[in-house]
Amino acid sequence: MVLSLKKKDENAFSYLYDNYSDALNGVIYAMIGDTTLSEDILQEAFLKIWKNIDAYDDTKGKLYTWMRRLTHNLTLDNLKSNQHKYQTKVVKDEMVVVNIQVSNSVVYHLDVLDFKKKLDTLNPKQRQIIDMSYYQGYTQEEIAAELNMPVGSVKTKIRSAIIELRKIFVK
Amino acid sequence: MNANEIISSGLLEQFVLGKTNEQENAQVLAWKVTYPDVEEELLAIENDLQMLDFVHSKKVSTNAKQILLAALNSENKTTNIAQLDTTSVVPVIQSNFWKYAAAASIALLIFTSIFTFNKYNTLNDKLAKAETEITNQKQEIASLNQGVEGVASSQQVVLKGTTPTSTSTAKIFWVRNSGEVFVEASGLPAAPQGSQYQLWAIIDGKPVDAGMIISDNKGKKYNIQKMKTFGKAQAFAITLEKSGGSPTPTMEKMVVMSTI
Repeated sequence: MVLSLKKKDENAFSYLYDNYSDALNGVIYAMIGDTTLSEDILQEAFLKIWKNIDAYDDTKGKLYTWMRRLTHNLTLDNLKSNQHKYQTKVVKDEMVVVNIQVSNSVVYHLDVLDFKKKLDTLNPKQRQIIDMSYYQGYTQEEIAAELNMPVGSVKTKIRSAIIELRKIFVK
Repeated sequence: MNANEIISSGLLEQFVLGKTNEQENAQVLAWKVTYPDVEEELLAIENDLQMLDFVHSKKVSTNAKQILLAALNSENKTTNIAQLDTTSVVPVIQSNFWKYAAAASIALLIFTSIFTFNKYNTLNDKLAKAETEITNQKQEIASLNQGVEGVASSQQVVLKGTTPTSTSTAKIFWVRNSGEVFVEASGLPAAPQGSQYQLWAIIDGKPVDAGMIISDNKGKKYNIQKMKTFGKAQAFAITLEKSGGSPTPTMEKMVVMSTI
């Protein structure tokens, strides 16, 4: 897959898009909160993925992680240039995890419906922290400031939330 | 730090999310090679994240992929042109030039199209108005011509005020061979609001409705107009009636009358 992509195989790229565009769009949307702008950034992200695929090093992590990181950074750049990072954070105070959009991906379809229910079993604080950390671009320090708790306990909370999550995913 | 300490430090999640700096990245990658547990945990975190993202998926609109692939193709073409001759700088400049030229052309095209479209709409409106105007004028001319032709070959009948002090007058042009009747009522005062002048032909002593005299809509002016057709009549009279006319004349409202 990665090799085909590095050879600039359009079919491989098309496959990549079909399987990951909705997920990455969700990542952008959680940060931006604007459907049109999200899709614009998504287009930009995929063009960048295509152009920079040679920079992907599979010893450093999964392809998806690399793509997500690239997308996340691009979205952050966009937020910075639009200077509405702060506003978005305020708007997105409601937890994204609660408002789950069901993916159209055939492979994940059943799982997603299942997870949606299971995610509700996470305690609200854990959900909020996962949300801020994974989707709203907060650093651990910013979460600590926002939730008025020491950075140390933010780290612990993220950790315990992730362990909870993993139990959910494995069930 | 041992593997457990690393795992519970929270740094691995930050690394996967791309929130770590260069130094931390190098550190994490070094740990990954050293500790199998760290490597395993990193993979688990990546899988968690991917799964979470799938749960958070937001459907992309259906045409987005086509747009992307089109953008990709044009991107590739540009790259190919640039790659044809890498020994020279010129093609790269050219490819940029064409890119900008194309962008400029498209922008110009869009601008011109919008401008032309607006212009087209304005002209279309104007044309429609002009056409309506012409149609109206044609109708007016036709009716006037009819009047003129009628008048030319007609017998003229003068209608005079029915009271001694009245200055009202009207003329009837009666075309003998066709029986067409035209009335020229410009000598009548403007009819009060809600009322209209009605022409009557007196045939064998009985008044017969000959039609309503209509003022032009711009004011109270009465043009020559064609009324009903009569083969014979002994007299004509005009009465002031309520708008729309009456079946029989209101005799006390008779304005002008003639004898033939």
